[in-house]
Amino acid sequence: MDMFLQQLVNALSLGGTYALLALGLAVVFSIMGLINFAHGELMTAAGYGLIFSLLLGVPFALALPAAVVVAILLAVLMERVAFRSVRGASGTTLLLTSFAVSAIIRVLFQNFISARPMAVRIPMALSGTIEIAGLHLGIIQAISILVTIAMLVGLNLFLHRTVLGRAMRAAAEDFAIVRLMGIRANAVVATAFAISGLLAGVAGVLWVAQRGSVDPLMGFLPVLKAFIAAIIGGLGSLSGAVAGGFLLGFTEVFLQAFLPESLLSYRDAFAIILVIAVLLYAPQGLLARRTVVKL
Amino acid sequence: MKSKIKALCITTMLSGMALSPLPATAQELLIGLATAQTGNLAPYDQPSLKGLEMAVEEINATGGIAGKFPIKLIIKDTRSDAAQTALAAQELIDQGVNIMITPCDADPSIAAGQITQAAQIPTFSFCATTPTMPIAVGDYMFGNYPADNVQAAVLANHAIEQGYKRAYILKSPDSAYTLKLPEYFATSFKAKGGEIVGEGTFSMGQQDFGAEVTKIKALNPAPDVIMTAAYEPDFPAFIRQLRSAGVDTPILGSDGIDSPTTFGLGKLVEGVVFTAAGFATEGSPLAKFNAKYKQRTGQEPDTNYIANGYDLGKVIEAAVTKADGIEPTAIRNAIASLEKVPGVTGPITYVGTQGMPLRSVALVRIKDGGRELVSQGVPAAADVPAP
Repeated sequence: MDMFLQQLVNALSLGGTYALLALGLAVVFSIMGLINFAHGELMTAAGYGLIFSLLLGVPFALALPAAVVVAILLAVLMERVAFRSVRGASGTTLLLTSFAVSAIIRVLFQNFISARPMAVRIPMALSGTIEIAGLHLGIIQAISILVTIAMLVGLNLFLHRTVLGRAMRAAAEDFAIVRLMGIRANAVVATAFAISGLLAGVAGVLWVAQRGSVDPLMGFLPVLKAFIAAIIGGLGSLSGAVAGGFLLGFTEVFLQAFLPESLLSYRDAFAIILVIAVLLYAPQGLLARRTVVKL
Repeated sequence: MKSKIKALCITTMLSGMALSPLPATAQELLIGLATAQTGNLAPYDQPSLKGLEMAVEEINATGGIAGKFPIKLIIKDTRSDAAQTALAAQELIDQGVNIMITPCDADPSIAAGQITQAAQIPTFSFCATTPTMPIAVGDYMFGNYPADNVQAAVLANHAIEQGYKRAYILKSPDSAYTLKLPEYFATSFKAKGGEIVGEGTFSMGQQDFGAEVTKIKALNPAPDVIMTAAYEPDFPAFIRQLRSAGVDTPILGSDGIDSPTTFGLGKLVEGVVFTAAGFATEGSPLAKFNAKYKQRTGQEPDTNYIANGYDLGKVIEAAVTKADGIEPTAIRNAIASLEKVPGVTGPITYVGTQGMPLRSVALVRIKDGGRELVSQGVPAAADVPAP
């Protein structure tokens, strides 16, 4: 039983990170129909932001928000430079543009920063453990769960209590009407990117805290997982992305925990089979929106 | 100023015209590099290339190998893609290279090797460690790094010497290195009387080890030692989560973890023992090399791959000197007969091998955030598991 509870905590922590990333993808997709594969590079940028702030002598507690700000700035810059000009183009164009942005940023990181991973000195205090009722909870793990909850609550409040948040939810339903109401399209789209940058930045910092290093290609795998999570939940649905993220995290952890040793190497295959099963049952994803209206 | 540039242009053109017919035909040794400047192999290929370029610079400063064969490098980026590596290798062969160098991984090296073997061009992988690589390709393929099974044998010997009886291995099916090295270790460890009490797997880049760590913690009887060939980002994430869960079992690792990130983990990695291609004891050739590298580039050499790339230059120098020519087959035969080439990481021997060189492996312990040499040398042939 203890083992089960421990694995539950593990699943919550991994699922939370996936949920943050999937949510970042979904926010942008719901507004402009773009699956942003350069989302992972925002995580990497946050990681480099952290490293360089620390190198400049910024204390760790301040370097964390600085890292997130770097990701937000890059997200907004991405929108302004690459995605604004293709806004409203076909899904394929948008997708290819995002691949191009992702590839360009990765090569820039490799050639202008370093191809080799750079170490981040995470304070030793963060490597400890908290023991609650016999459960070992790593401090980073605990922080990651708490931060995920805080981000989800915060985003929910923003979307429901502010004008811009309401405009974003409305834009996800029907962008044309929102513009007729006098809301500036650029503001809505830029906000969507800023939010996705914020989510990617936070996820990036949590990810880097676990691995202790930043390398130019580190964003690829998590964004792939987030993409799967967003698909399970129903592309464009915000609550779906969160549900998908947690579902994927739980599936991965519990397969790892309870598959027999001889089948363990097929863990990812089993996880993907489950995803296919979900999609057979609900082809649009678990919590899909009925209509997708593009700009 | 303008006329100066003009004069420079003309002289360059003239000297180019004067020189070009000669070296391209007979004297210049063309080395083709189908290696990764971008992508996931760049972290290994880029430093290897830096080392090789330094060796070539030194050799050319003395008029070339044996004073008569200047080296010219032709470098093509493979983007860490196996198909692109094969394509680059074909283009380089068409340009008439005498020697080919392929990336730090067996897969693209084998892809390129299929082409170079057919064209009979001797080929080195910068730092692939898979012992079956030259066997898969043929007699023109060579490694340039201590093979996985050699590293595993050194680790297993150490585990037995420490009195460890039960070991747990953590492997990933995602690459030959992360899968086979722990398996070679298991073979070697069992042959010497050890017992493997468990095997775990992970996906590379996943970096969530919560589930695996919980399982290790529940193992009864607990293992005396954990062996893994995981490297960044998996190794730091694994050891952080393992130690966070309160498991302080000793860990044996492989050369992949010899990086600043590992040392950045501070007391989490204290006592970890791992294999390395070389160890810079005071006054050793490697220490001298590192000092020279720092003086020349202004940067601290943060990885052994630089010295390893430099040593490849030394191996090529020795082979071409021995062949006394630049004909590819003659060079190939010379490489296969090389014995104890004095590299900065230790003596390198190809004679009597199937293409993976015999070279010394250093066993390093992390102590007080620094490196401490445990042992250095080539393990006995009988201890090395068959590839």
